[in-house]
Amino acid sequence: MNKMLEEVVSIEFNRQIGKDTCLLGFRSASLASLAKPGQFLMIHSGRETKDPLLRRPFSIHRIQDRNKLMMLYRIVGKGTSLLSALKENDPISVIGPLGNGFALPRPNEPSLVMAGGMGIAPLFFLTQVLKRVQKHKIKMFLGFPTSQEAVLIDQLKDLNIDLSLTTEDGSLGIKGLVTDLLDQYLGQELTNKPVIYACGPTPMLKKIAQKAIKSRLRCYVSLEGYMACGLGLCQGCAVKAANNKGKPYYYVCQDGPVFSAEMIDWEVM
Amino acid sequence: MAFLPDLSVDIGGLKIKNPVITASGTFGYGNELTPFYDPSLLGAIIVKGLSLKPIPGNPPPRIAETPCGLLNAIGLANIGIKAFIEERLPSLVKIKAPIITNIYGHNIKEYAEIAKRIEKVDRIAAIEINISCPNVEEGGMAFGTDPDTAAKVTNQVVKNTTKPVIVKLTPNVTDITIIAKAVESAGAQAISVTNTIMGMAVDVTTRRPKLTNIIGGLSGPAIKPIALYLVHKVVANVRIPVIGLGGIMDYHDALEFLLVGARAIQVGTANLINPKAAMEIVNGLTDFCMREKIGNINEIIGSLKTK
Ligand SMILES: Cc1cc2nc3c(=O)[nH]c(=O)nc-3n(C[C@H](O)[C@H](O)[C@H](O)COP(=O)(O)OP(=O)(O)OC[C@H]3O[C@@H](n4cnc5c(N)ncnc54)[C@H](O)[C@@H]3O)c2cc1C
Ligand SMILES: Cc1cc2nc3c(=O)[nH]c(=O)nc-3n(C[C@H](O)[C@H](O)[C@H](O)COP(=O)(O)O)c2cc1C
Ligand code: FES
Repeated sequence: MNKMLEEVVSIEFNRQIGKDTCLLGFRSASLASLAKPGQFLMIHSGRETKDPLLRRPFSIHRIQDRNKLMMLYRIVGKGTSLLSALKENDPISVIGPLGNGFALPRPNEPSLVMAGGMGIAPLFFLTQVLKRVQKHKIKMFLGFPTSQEAVLIDQLKDLNIDLSLTTEDGSLGIKGLVTDLLDQYLGQELTNKPVIYACGPTPMLKKIAQKAIKSRLRCYVSLEGYMACGLGLCQGCAVKAANNKGKPYYYVCQDGPVFSAEMIDWEVM
Repeated sequence: MAFLPDLSVDIGGLKIKNPVITASGTFGYGNELTPFYDPSLLGAIIVKGLSLKPIPGNPPPRIAETPCGLLNAIGLANIGIKAFIEERLPSLVKIKAPIITNIYGHNIKEYAEIAKRIEKVDRIAAIEINISCPNVEEGGMAFGTDPDTAAKVTNQVVKNTTKPVIVKLTPNVTDITIIAKAVESAGAQAISVTNTIMGMAVDVTTRRPKLTNIIGGLSGPAIKPIALYLVHKVVANVRIPVIGLGGIMDYHDALEFLLVGARAIQVGTANLINPKAAMEIVNGLTDFCMREKIGNINEIIGSLKTK
């Protein structure tokens, strides 16, 4: 069983860094020491509230100075707008780290990191770690709807990786989707096959996974599921498993959130 | 030196050290929350509803949040009684609290068969029957909505076990007291009130139901007043102990149910949000009794003042 804990922490900063996009930081040496890229946290207001009732899942976005954790989130509904209104020193209750996290590449295996929108949240942490443990190549395809949503570009450039940027309206980088870049990339002759790490909207993950399976590339996707607990209690977070006779569904909070592409039944996604 | 109040209660022959039990479907298979606390501290634990064969469950989304409530259509997904007994039960050895299995079948024969299997397992202290699920042979109407069917299911389980049998009622009926009396006559040693209340939620932008299953069961604080009312009604109409549940989030909520006459309470949705909820309710009840100089929790049970 994974080591996990519940802590009430105070927010160190919580600021908007792009359209409807916020970065939140807090300190917890114990969570920081346990966390692996791809794992997530379940967050609830640190003050008693029954609406919203459930915790919300967020990826661990970054770890700094061994004790600072960050979350990157988009305001999409009630929970996230209330979260965005919290100020410095406000308490939040955090459970984590949860889930399996990304499997790291084999020695000398280049990685291709593909992020769509908020998909960059867990992939930033992964890239940080890859950069530290892996001296060789990291390629990143990063896409946003428009330049207004584009965040973290400078920080990613600082990591010194091979970064290609897309926006759907062409207001920044290449006009199109990250999956268009994948088409071009797979069209080339690849001498050293990369392992793909992807996170973003489900249609994007579906495209990437299906292409990776066809091209026989190792590919890990981080999925979002509707979660009530994140702890394996409710069986709410089901995703359909591909030709897995014993197990018709995987549970995102227990078996994931990171899955190898061929584990998932993409037809129903 | 402060005295420690006696929180123990007897539910139909099952003696438990305090009246706090986890509700089926919200506590996994029993040990998921051990990183947070030792479930031995609880009165008893009820695990996920088990059927004769494994059930895959409904396609996602299976859950949707509503104001102060949780709608679920898990579809009774479970690993089946065999896998539970062989693979999960052994990992619960360290848990000293009694383990109660919640069971359900597609027909009355399946209920009887599961009861027989459980009878052979010493580690399982009691059976809670879920009769809120559809009776496949009778056109899919829930077993728990017809007094005769509810009584037949109860009777079949009671006949096949020596363990205490608790029947968990559905609130989705016109008069819950009729069902309560029927299962009492059929030999139930205790009754749990209540299971989830049928509900739905719609996404107006997509014009789709928020649950793939369209309808689901509502739980959480949103249903607490209804659950209290149902417990109040059932307590007045049966002699066997009633276990109250529905929206209990803290020891205050638990006290409300005890005052209304519940002999014990279950903690459901609260576990999903606050993994330590059940343990904190035990502590809260202990502190409350100490503060109020109540030596025995039975002094509270059913002590609602109505005049
Ligand atoms: C493992 C995991 C990691 C995540 N990491 C991040 C992250 O790092 N940053 C981030 O911004 N978001 C992340 N999410 C998604 C985030 O949890 C949801 O956006 C959030 O729960 C929405 O809450 P809300 O109350 O604001 O929205 P609600 O009012 O609940 O819903 C608003 C809208 O969001 C959609 N939605 C709600 N919950 C989810 C969900 N779990 N998955 C997909 N769509 C959902 C609903 O369909 C609805 O359209 C993650 C989800 C999971 C499962
Ligand atoms: C996710 C979920 C799964 C559930 N599964 C079961 C089940 O398998 N069997 C059962 O009898 N009740 C099940 N229930 C109902 C609960 O045990 C409980 O009766 C109900 O949720 C009301 O209590 P609460 O408001 O404290 O959650 C489930 C409830 C939830 C939220
Ligand atoms: S969210 Fe409850 S089991 Fe995964």
